[in-house]
Amino acid sequence: MSWSGLLRCTAVKKNGRTVISDCYYEGALKLTRPIYLHPSQPTIYLIHVGGGYVDGDRYKTEIMLQEGAHLIATTQSATKIYKTVNTPVQQYTSFYLDDQSVLEFFPDPVIAYEKAQFYQETTVYMKESSTFIYGDIITPGWSESGELFRYDWIRSKLKIYYEGNLMLFDHLYLEPGKGITGILQMEGYTHLGSLFVISPFITKDILQKFEWLATRFPVSAHLGWSIPMIPGLIVRVLAHETHVIETIFQMIHQFIREECFQEEPIFLRKY
Amino acid sequence: MPLLQLCDSNFPSGAFSHSFGFETYIFNEKINNVETFRDALSVYIQTQLTYTDGLACRLTYDFLEKKSKEDVWRLNEMLAALCLAKETREGTRMIGERMWKICKAIYPLDIWNDDEKKQGYMHPALVFAIVCYHLEILKETTVLSYLYTSVQALVQNAIRAIPLGQTDGQRLLVSIRPHLIKAVQKIDTLTEEDLGAAVPGLEIAQMQHEQLSVRLFMS
Repeated sequence: MSWSGLLRCTAVKKNGRTVISDCYYEGALKLTRPIYLHPSQPTIYLIHVGGGYVDGDRYKTEIMLQEGAHLIATTQSATKIYKTVNTPVQQYTSFYLDDQSVLEFFPDPVIAYEKAQFYQETTVYMKESSTFIYGDIITPGWSESGELFRYDWIRSKLKIYYEGNLMLFDHLYLEPGKGITGILQMEGYTHLGSLFVISPFITKDILQKFEWLATRFPVSAHLGWSIPMIPGLIVRVLAHETHVIETIFQMIHQFIREECFQEEPIFLRKY
Repeated sequence: MPLLQLCDSNFPSGAFSHSFGFETYIFNEKINNVETFRDALSVYIQTQLTYTDGLACRLTYDFLEKKSKEDVWRLNEMLAALCLAKETREGTRMIGERMWKICKAIYPLDIWNDDEKKQGYMHPALVFAIVCYHLEILKETTVLSYLYTSVQALVQNAIRAIPLGQTDGQRLLVSIRPHLIKAVQKIDTLTEEDLGAAVPGLEIAQMQHEQLSVRLFMS
């Protein structure tokens, strides 16, 4: 079956430095030349050349990290989903993380506009020694009348296969027409952020330090964190603005880089 | 009678030690009387109980009808992976394991020999469906009974924690019936693709419970 956009690339560690090899893309998806914000860890920007996702679009991205590769990935701009009356937009993303590889993935928010229908499935195949860091933000979009939450629905699935076993499965299904703003659901907030860190470097000691970090998060956010069945950390954030979630994600991202990898922070924001 | 026994609030599954995040709302006084509790409970039925517990119960029954036990274990693995808050995941596992153990002792079934397939996790909805299927209880009745049992445990907990009067609790169980019937109808229309749709605020409450200073419940 054909894709509206297809992107594949592999990150390889060569002479102590990660490089991108075997890069292939077609349709509306593109990749920038890697930028070295860090001397040995490239940052790639995933680009959608069309400006937004429309009815029936299907996208597929596959990123492979070979042994020891360290890659930072983000998008160039928000994922905008426009009116999709006939066929929901589908986006499939797969990551393959070999031994000791590290992927830090912080895409821009998903913005779903009026009557948008969006299905997103992210699948991670990782080794026990690898690290996967992923922050995802879903915003309510808006309509011409200025109303929020006018999209039809968003379904977002994240499956993490750890040494071949499904160990983490996050499934978000937001259907505003059914009422999602109240108690147990969005709790009166509009923006939803989810951050996942799966890494052998998340130890009890790191988690204790994290609790201290958490006391400095912006008070306007409503959040919780817990630990999955595998070494790692999960954070769920509700807020009224994208930048509040981004600030929290940046704090955690910086914390993980410093505490787990003794690395300087990376600033991805492009504006 | 077997169903009455399984759904009896005295059935020692340990469900009464868990609030599944509700205690956080009670602690923060977001739930502080019959009305606020009823609102939250009806959302809980329409979301968590419909898309996770209830659907898992129905799917298990379906898989047993098709004689595909492997799918039951695959479902169990998914349910463990779906629960992001550690305390709630552990609480659910403990209740599931306890039910498995008791049911194993009272009903002789082949499936109990699959102990190692559990891989350290057992969701109570699966045990409930397994027992009901073998007792030839109808699928709809099985799902409805499971939902009722879950709600009944939460109501009993709310009576202790908010607190509410015993009569208020019984009145709630009556007024919530139409929601349960609707949930069973909804569950009937769902597929495996719908399984585990999360309830973000509830998840945060479950996560925050892990750090609550005063706690009546284990989750």
